[in-house]
Amino acid sequence: MPKDDLATKVKLAIYEMTAETGRVPNSSEISRRIDIEENEVLTVFGRLHAKRLLLPEPGDPRQIRMAPPFSGVPTAFPVEANGKRYYANCVWDAYGIAAALHCDAISRASDGHTGEPLTLEVKAGAPVLKPYVAHFAVPAGHWWDDLIFT
Amino acid sequence: MLLFRSEETVNQWCAAHNIPRRPLVDLEQLWQLAVHWYANRLTVESRRPTSDEMVSIFNSLGLTGPFWDPKSDEWR
Repeated sequence: MPKDDLATKVKLAIYEMTAETGRVPNSSEISRRIDIEENEVLTVFGRLHAKRLLLPEPGDPRQIRMAPPFSGVPTAFPVEANGKRYYANCVWDAYGIAAALHCDAISRASDGHTGEPLTLEVKAGAPVLKPYVAHFAVPAGHWWDDLIFT
Repeated sequence: MLLFRSEETVNQWCAAHNIPRRPLVDLEQLWQLAVHWYANRLTVESRRPTSDEMVSIFNSLGLTGPFWDPKSDEWR
C-alpha cells in the first residue's frame, strides 16, 4: 500500500475509534482495527507526528498523547458530546471537538487562575457566547516546540 | 491555551506564574479557529493548515502581527 494511503487509513482509524468511544486508541488497537502490523502503525505515527497531526506519548510511542483536538489522557477540558465524554488538549480544542464531530457539545472547564467553573457550549453549530477569553501564552511559531505546555 | 473569566484573571495568572501577558482571543474568534482547524478532521482530506493559510485565517479574525505568524522568529 502506498505510504500516503496507509497514513490516511491509520489517521482515519484513530479519529473514527476516538469518535466512537471517547478514548484515543493505541497502536495495538489500530493494528487490529485495520488489520496491519503494529510496527507499520508505529511508523505511520512517526509520519503523522512529523506532519503535526499527532503527538505520541513521551516515552511510550505505542500510545497517542494528542490527536488534536482529542487528548489521549484526561485534561481540564472534558467535552460531553453525542452521549460520550472526550478530553480536549486545551480550550481551543474543546471547541475543536464540537467542530470535528459536527454536533452540540458542552465543556465544563474552569478559570485558569481561580478555578471557577466556566462552561463552554456549542448548540446548532454555533458557540453560546460568553465574555470569557482564551490566553495564548506561546506564539504560533512555537506551538509544537512543547505542545503539552502550549 | 487556558480559559479565563476575564482579562483580570488572565493578568493575575500571568503575574502569579511570571509569564508575559500575550494576546487574548474571545469565544467567537476561538470557535472560528476551531472550525478552520478541525471541521474536516475526521475526513480523508483532513490536514493541518499551511503556514500561509494559518496567517490568512488569523488575519481574517483580526489576529495580526508576528505573534500569529508561524514563520516568525521575532518571539525567540
